[in-house]
Formats: sequence, C-alpha cells, structure tokens
Amino acid sequence: MSTGTPLYLLKNISFHYKERFELNIPELSIDSGASIGLIGPNGGGKSTLLRIVGFLLHPQEGEIYYNGEKVTRETDGPRREVTTMLQEPYLLKRSVFDNIAYGLKMRGERQGTRERVYESLEMVGLDPAGFASRSWFELSGGEAQRVSLASRLILKPRVLILDEPTASVDEASGRLIKEAVLQCREKYGTTLLIASHDQIWLNTIASDIRKVSLGRVWESAAGNLIAGPWKSGENGLYLKKLPDGQTIFATKPPEPERQGMIEATDIIISTMPPERVSAQNILNAGIMNMRIEKESGMMVVGLDAGGLQLTSRITQHAARSLGLFPGEKVWVVFKATSIKWS
Amino acid sequence: MDFITEGFFQAFQLLLSGNEETYSAIFATVKVSSLSIALSLLIGIPLGFLLGYFEFSGKRQLRAISDTLLALPTVVVGLFVYAFITYRGPLGDLGLLYTITGIAIAQTVLVVPIVISLTATAIESLDRRLKPTLIALGAQGRQIAFTSLVEARFAVLIAAITAYGRAISEVGISMIIGGNIKWHTRTITTAITLETGKGEFSMGIALGIVLLAFAFIVNYSLAFLRKRSA
Repeated sequence: MSTGTPLYLLKNISFHYKERFELNIPELSIDSGASIGLIGPNGGGKSTLLRIVGFLLHPQEGEIYYNGEKVTRETDGPRREVTTMLQEPYLLKRSVFDNIAYGLKMRGERQGTRERVYESLEMVGLDPAGFASRSWFELSGGEAQRVSLASRLILKPRVLILDEPTASVDEASGRLIKEAVLQCREKYGTTLLIASHDQIWLNTIASDIRKVSLGRVWESAAGNLIAGPWKSGENGLYLKKLPDGQTIFATKPPEPERQGMIEATDIIISTMPPERVSAQNILNAGIMNMRIEKESGMMVVGLDAGGLQLTSRITQHAARSLGLFPGEKVWVVFKATSIKWS
Repeated sequence: MDFITEGFFQAFQLLLSGNEETYSAIFATVKVSSLSIALSLLIGIPLGFLLGYFEFSGKRQLRAISDTLLALPTVVVGLFVYAFITYRGPLGDLGLLYTITGIAIAQTVLVVPIVISLTATAIESLDRRLKPTLIALGAQGRQIAFTSLVEARFAVLIAAITAYGRAISEVGISMIIGGNIKWHTRTITTAITLETGKGEFSMGIALGIVLLAFAFIVNYSLAFLRKRSA
C-alpha cells in the first residue's frame, strides 16, 4: 500500500542471546500509519523484535532504517518518536501524575502538563481527580497497566509499541486499553505494533496480523507450525506421522527436529475427497472454528487434522460456496513444498 | 537489683530535669554523628552510584574492598586517624585531635564504606525493567542515570540510616580521637563507658535510654523505608 519510504525498513537483522535464541529477519518494512499485530508462541521472537523496533535493543547484525534514515546506536532522533510499553510495565516510584508527566519532562515540555496528564488519564478510562495524586503502590494491576499506557499516550507517539498489553489484566481493562489505543491512532495517526496472545482482542485493533515464530516474521497471521521430527521417506520426501496415523510429507528439512511452517493461504479445504491432485498432503480434518479477519475480510478457518491444529485462510465467498460450518468433516490439501523451514 | 531500679529512676530525673552534663553528651553525639553522616553521604553516594551503575574493569575488586571495609573495627579507624592528626602526624597542624571535627572525620572514614556498598547494592538491585522503561519514555544519558538514583532513593536512605546507626553507637573512635573531654568531646557512648566504670549507673542508664531511643527511631525508619523500596 506504501507509496513512499516505509517508516521502518529492517534488513538482514540478526539478534541472538548467547547462541540460545536467534531472531533473523531478512527484510521487513512497516508503513507509517500501519496497525500491525504480532502473534506467535512464547520464545518465538515477538518481544525481541518489538525491542529492536522500539530502539531498546540494537541488533548484532543488519541495518534498521527509520523514515529512510539509518539508525545507529548513537542515533537519538527517532527514539523520541517511538515509545514502547513492555510486557510487565514498570511504574516509577512516584505519583500517577508524575509517572505520566515524566516523558514530557524529559523532553523539556512543561506547558500544559496538567491538562495533558488529565487528558491521557481520561483516554485510558481513569478519573483524573481520583487517580492523579495516587502513589504507584496504590494501583491495581489493571490500573497500573493503564497508567503505564497513559504515560505513553501523553507523548502523542508516532509509533506505539505494546508487548502483551492485556496479558495480566481483566476483560474490562483490556477493553479500555483497546479503546485508548484506537483513540491514539485516530487522534495522532500513530503507527501501532502490538504483540498479544489474545488474537480475538488483537483482531479488533490490528489490520495486519503477522506471526513471529522460530525467530522469523511470517507474512500471514495464520501461519501453521508443524513440529519435527521428520523421517526420510520415498521420492526424496520427508514424512511426519500424526497421532491418528495420517502422514504429512515435506521437502528435506535442515535437520530432522526442525519445525516447519506453512502459510494459511497454502491450505486448501475441500468438502469432497480430492482426486487426481498433485499435492502430496491430503488429510482428513474437522472444522474447529471460523472467524472473519477485520480488515481483509478473509475467513480464517481453524482445523484439527488428526491432532494437528491448522489454520486455513480462504475468501468468504469460498466459505459460503462450500457451505463450511464448525464441526464439519473436510479434507485439507497442501503441497509438500509449501512447508518452509526457518 | 535495687541499684538498677534506682538507676532507672534517677536516669529519668536527669533527663526530665534537663541535667546539663547529660545533655552536653547528647548534643555532642548528635553534632558529631550528623557531621560525619553529612560528609559520608557527600562522598559515599556519588561513589556508590558510580560503582553500582557503570561497568568497568576492576569493578569487582573495588566492590570487594568496599565490602571488606564494612567490618572495619572502630578502634583501628581511631588508631589510623589518630596517627594522621596527632600533633606529630602529617595533619597535626590542623589541630583536629580532641575535637568534634576530628571525631566526625574519623567516623566518616568508618561509615563511608557502608554508604558506598549499600548505595551500589541499591543501584544494582534496581528493577531490570527500569532502564528500558526510561528509554521508552524518552530519557537519555544523564536523565537515565539521575532517575535511576531517584528510583533507588529509599534504598539509599536505608544506607544513610544504617550508616547513622553505626556512627552514633561507636565508642572506639570517640574515645581515641575525642579523648572523652567533659563538656567538649564527651559523647553518649564514651560517657556511658566512663560513668559505668565509676559506678554511676544513673547517668549511664539515662544516656543508654537516649541511645536506645535513637536506635528505635533508626530501626523504625529502616523498616518503613524497606517497605517503600520493595
């Protein structure tokens, strides 16, 4: 959709923690004004990626361009346009007011502080009169989370990065956080990058959901992971047996234990037994759930194929013409070459 | 047992009647320990912050030295400082021996390692989320360092109070450097030592009560601050 320079451009990014975990991103661009949701398993690289784009971590290899300018360890400019709320937000040992005003103070912005603090508190659904003078230890978990968000919103950020913002809050706080974030986007045109395990919540905010797993960013949200081990089979293919005895075929993995990934758009659903198809993988499956992606309008179908959870992404028209519904028995079809290795 | 009961009774009489000799020792103690604590905070907090905040070669060795000095015996400090400020010593011309200032300097030597070590620990124990949070909110360089110190303020205050407790209750330095001169350098601890030796329990008990009151205030403050710093 971009017509010019992307806000972020990451090239050949690599980051590893003592050889234990690696994040590898050959290329990733994020347009200004985008609203990107990140999903994926724990340890898949979401938080590391968010810390890199939030300029809290510098990659060991690769280049980051922000607004067309290369970012180095010494670059300070964009740091003040981007703000990150970590998975477990930390409140400074001071009042709610001072916590929220801190970022403004660091920028030397002193005019209208009170009004802006109050406005931010209202954005996150906290009554300024009741909360501004409270101390950091007088807040519940959900309130602390919202104060932490307010301290970011007051900065009118160009980029707002949230790492699991609803992980430890109740449903009401989750709703208020969502409303505040959407309001921020609407008011300031803020670019959003949000990681969450709550995909339903994330779907209500993000227009583009991507999966981060195995240290890679997968283009589609509904990517499927298939764990190893893989055994050598016939015709140069490798196979994995599912709990119900069905078999998945793939090309040669880098090593037998490697986890494979298949894009949800590569999984075809059929309500009839497929015949004479070139794809190696034809599996019996059941439809577990169905939902519509907010912005794309695509239908995301959750499937259970012999104990393996898969997600297929099809058009609403296809879903209607096939007459799909949860609980229905179907066949899923995909090529062995559709399984990619990290 | 009667002499103890009698001692307590007379002690309260001394305190309530405003006995000059008793209050002279109390004021000398407050004066000397306040001076020493002010000096040790001025020196110890910046050094402790540098030790805790920055990574540099030799840091662990410096830390080990600072921690070892926590257990400095007061008489050893008294002896060393005496050697420097005695009239034959290199700083003898300053005339610090048998003065409140002299005791305060020696007490500073005693408690500076406490302030340095506890401040460094306070900085090192700061929440690991603090720095990324400050960067995320736009703080830079010195702003991050200063806010880190402010965040550690309760723990740094604990360091100050612990140091004050050590200074106010020591006796070796006050005796060697101050000489226990009546109306001049006699502190609570040296007075208790002297009066007990003379068999004058009442003044000893009166001063002991005051010292205990100080200890209570110090410990109560510590408990309160520990709760805040958690």
